[in-house]
Amino acid sequence: MPDLPLSGVRVCDLTWIIAGPTATRVLADFGAEVIRVEHAQAADAVRFGRPIVGDRPTMNNSGFWNYINRNKKSILLNARHPMGGDLLRRLIAESDVVVENFSSGIMASWGLDYPQLREIREDIIYCSVSGFGHSGRDKAFTTWGPTAQALCGLTFTSGLPGYPPAGWGFSYMDHTAGYSAAVAIMAALHHRNQTGEGQHIDISQIEAGIVLNGPAVLDATVNGRSWRREGMPPGNRAWEPRVAPHNTYPCAGDDRWVAIDVTNEAEWAALVMAMDEPPWAADVRFATNAGRLANEDELDERIAAWTSEFTDYEAMELLQAAGVRAGVCQKASDKFERDPQLAARDWWHEVEHGELGPVTYDGVLPRLSATPGSVRTAGPLIGQDTHAVLRDVLGMSDEEIAETEAMGVLM
Amino acid sequence: MSGPLAGLTVLEVCDELGQFAGKLLADLGAEVTKIEPPDGSSARRVGPFVKDIPGPNRSLNFWYNNTNKRSAVLDLEGSEADREAFRALASTADVVLEDRAPGALASLGLSPESLRAANPGLVVCSITPFGQTGPWAGWKSSDMVGLALGGPMMMNGYDPEDAPGAPPIRGHGDQGYNTACHYAAHGILAALFHRHTTGEGQLIDCSMHEALSCTTEVGMPYWLYARQDVIRQTGRHAAAQRTEPWLFQSKDGRHLILYGVGRDNDSWRRLKPWWQSHGFGLQFDEPRFDAPIARQPGRGSPEAAEIMAEMGRFIAATGADEVYRGGQERDQAWGIVRAPDETLQDPHFHDRGHFVGVTGEGVEEPALMPGAPYIFSATPWELRRPAPRLSEHTEEVRAEAARAAKS
Repeated sequence: MPDLPLSGVRVCDLTWIIAGPTATRVLADFGAEVIRVEHAQAADAVRFGRPIVGDRPTMNNSGFWNYINRNKKSILLNARHPMGGDLLRRLIAESDVVVENFSSGIMASWGLDYPQLREIREDIIYCSVSGFGHSGRDKAFTTWGPTAQALCGLTFTSGLPGYPPAGWGFSYMDHTAGYSAAVAIMAALHHRNQTGEGQHIDISQIEAGIVLNGPAVLDATVNGRSWRREGMPPGNRAWEPRVAPHNTYPCAGDDRWVAIDVTNEAEWAALVMAMDEPPWAADVRFATNAGRLANEDELDERIAAWTSEFTDYEAMELLQAAGVRAGVCQKASDKFERDPQLAARDWWHEVEHGELGPVTYDGVLPRLSATPGSVRTAGPLIGQDTHAVLRDVLGMSDEEIAETEAMGVLM
Repeated sequence: MSGPLAGLTVLEVCDELGQFAGKLLADLGAEVTKIEPPDGSSARRVGPFVKDIPGPNRSLNFWYNNTNKRSAVLDLEGSEADREAFRALASTADVVLEDRAPGALASLGLSPESLRAANPGLVVCSITPFGQTGPWAGWKSSDMVGLALGGPMMMNGYDPEDAPGAPPIRGHGDQGYNTACHYAAHGILAALFHRHTTGEGQLIDCSMHEALSCTTEVGMPYWLYARQDVIRQTGRHAAAQRTEPWLFQSKDGRHLILYGVGRDNDSWRRLKPWWQSHGFGLQFDEPRFDAPIARQPGRGSPEAAEIMAEMGRFIAATGADEVYRGGQERDQAWGIVRAPDETLQDPHFHDRGHFVGVTGEGVEEPALMPGAPYIFSATPWELRRPAPRLSEHTEEVRAEAARAAKS
C-alpha cells in the first residue's frame, strides 16, 4: 500500500451527527488515524439514521453512518465515568488533533476546554465546530444543517422567484462546515510542523455558510441591492454573469432534465447548430446576449421544446459534442449506473463491513499522484477497536483493560 | 505575516473555477500570486460591478474571491519570455494551482510534470470540471452544469403541489466551484504534510464532478444501501418517501425552518406555556403529549402531526424574530430564512468580528463583506489586502522571477 499523506497523524474524534464526522472523514481518507470515541448510552443519532439495512436499527446497519465514517476506528468509552474521563485524557495526550461538534459549552462542562486540553498536551490542535461558534451573544443557540443554511443565506438563494425557498434538499452546510474544518485542521498541522505550536480553531457552521455568498453581500454593501427583491432568487437562470440561455430543460421520460449554460456568442452559435438551426433561432431578437435575456421566457420555451425530443443523456452528449456546456441532472442511480466518467475513473470501491458484508463507497478526492488517499475500511462497528486502541495507543495491559471493562468504563 | 500558511508561496493560474481555492490559501497567510493574461482573468468580467460599471477592477465577485492575492500579468500564450518567467517562479514556489483544461498548460510547454522536474518539492494542483482523465475530461462545464451532473440539483426543488412540474433547482453562489475548491485545498494541505516528512511534492487531480458527487448527503447512501433514489421536496431534505413540511411562514411574511419539537422533556415543558400564553396548544397538557416518542416527527405519530399543525398556527400569528429567538432560547435549533445580505443585520456575527471592510476602485469607505469561516487562536485569519488591481504586482513579481532564474 502506498504511503498516505497524513500517516502519523492521530485524531481524537469526539464528533457526531454529520458536520464533525465529515471533517474527520477527510482526514481519515488521507491516512490520519481517526479514533471515534463513542458512548453506547448516548450513541450518535446517525448510527440509527436511514437508510438502514434490514428491518430495525442495530447501531451498525445505518448506510448513512457507514457512508461518512469509513476509514475510522471506534472505541466505547463512558467519559462521565471518573475512570473514563481519565482514559479520555490519556487518549488526548497521545493525539495530534481533537475535534468535536457539540454545542458551545459542552467541552468546558467536561473540564476539556482549550486551556485544559493544552495542559494535557501543549501542542494539541483543537477544532470545535458549532452552530454559532464559541463567542458572541448567541453562542448558546444551536443549529442543524437546514437551520444553518437558512440563517446564512443559502436557503434563500435556492428557489424559483415568487415561490417559497426550495432549500437545498440536503445538509450542504454539514458537508461544508466539515470541509472548512478539514482545511483549518490541516492548515494548523502545517503551522505546527513549522513552529511546533498548536491552537484552537473555532468554527461556526453559519459563518462557514455566510462566506459562500460573499459577492451577494458585497452587492448589498457596495450597491445597496439586497437579494430580497422581486425576481430573486432567479431559479436556474443566471445571476452573474447574466447570460442566456442558462436553465434546466425537460427531456423525454419522467422528471428528466438537462442543464444548459451558454456563456458567449460562440456557444450560442454552437447551440443553434446542435439544434439543426431552427428558424426561430435566427430571429434577430436572439442574436445577442442582451436580446436573449430580454426574451428569456420565449427562449427557454423554444429550447425546452427541442430538448423534450431527446433523452437526457442524448441531449447532453449532442450538446457537449457541439461544444455547449450541458449536463444531465443526475440522480444517485444515474451516477452509479450510467455515468461513464465516474466509472472510467474507478470511483466506486467495495470493502467488507463487519456486519453488512461487502459495501460500496465513492472514492477519495482529489487524487494525489504519489500518496493518494484510499478507502481502506468500512465504517467501524460500535466499539470494535476499543481493546486494540487501549492496548496499542495507551499501552494498557490485557489485565488493565479487563479491569476497566469490568468497572463499566468501556460501554 | 500571519496565518497558519505564512511563508508558503503559491502561483495561481485560475479563473472562476479555481479562484476560491487560491483565496482559501491566501486568507490563511500564503503568498498567492495570481498570474493573469494581459486582458485579465475572465473572473474580472463577472458581475456584480461597483455601481454597475464594468471594468477589470470593479467586479465584486472578483473582489471577494481574490482577497490577499497579488496580481501579475504574464502572457503565457503569447510570450516565450513570459513562459520562462513563469518557469522561474515555479522553480521556487511551493504550490502551483491551476484550473485550465486538461493539457492546456502542457501545450504551452508548462506541463505540471516539467515544473515538478525542475522543483521536486513542488505541489501542482489542477482543478478541472471532470478530472484529467476519462471520457468527459474534455467536456465543458460551469457551476450549474457541475451541480446538475454531481447530483445536488436533483435533490433540490419543490413538492408537486407547491410548484407543479418544477425543475430541480440550483442553489446560487457558485457552490459547485466552492466545493471543488474545498477539496483542492484538502489535497494541497495533505500533500504539504507529506512533503514536510519526505521533501517530495506531487501532482493533484481535483475533479469538480467528483467533489459534487460525494456532496449529496443521504442521496448516495440511499442508492448504495437501499437502491432508492430520493425525491425532492419544498424547503426540506429529499427523502425516499414524502415527509412532513419544515417550512413555516410567520405573521410578518418570513419563512422559518423548524423540525418539530423533538423528544426533550425539559424544552417541551418550556415551549408549552410560551405557546399557551399566546392562546395556542391548549390541548398540549393532555397526557397523550407526555410521551417523548409521540412528539417526535417523522414517525407518523398523530400527536407529532398535531404539534406541527398547531405550531404552524402559532407561527402564522407571531413575528419571525420572536419565533426564532423564542425557540432558540428554549433549546430549539430553529432558523429564519435570510437573504445573504441580511446576515449583516445579526449582531452576533459582528460580536465575533466576522465581517471585514474592503475598499477598491469606486469604493473609498470600507464596505463590509464576509471574513473568516474559522477563528484561529494562534495564527489569525486576516484581510491583509483587498483583491489586487489587474497587474498591480507585475513589476515586483517579474523581479522575483529574474532573481529565481539566476539562482
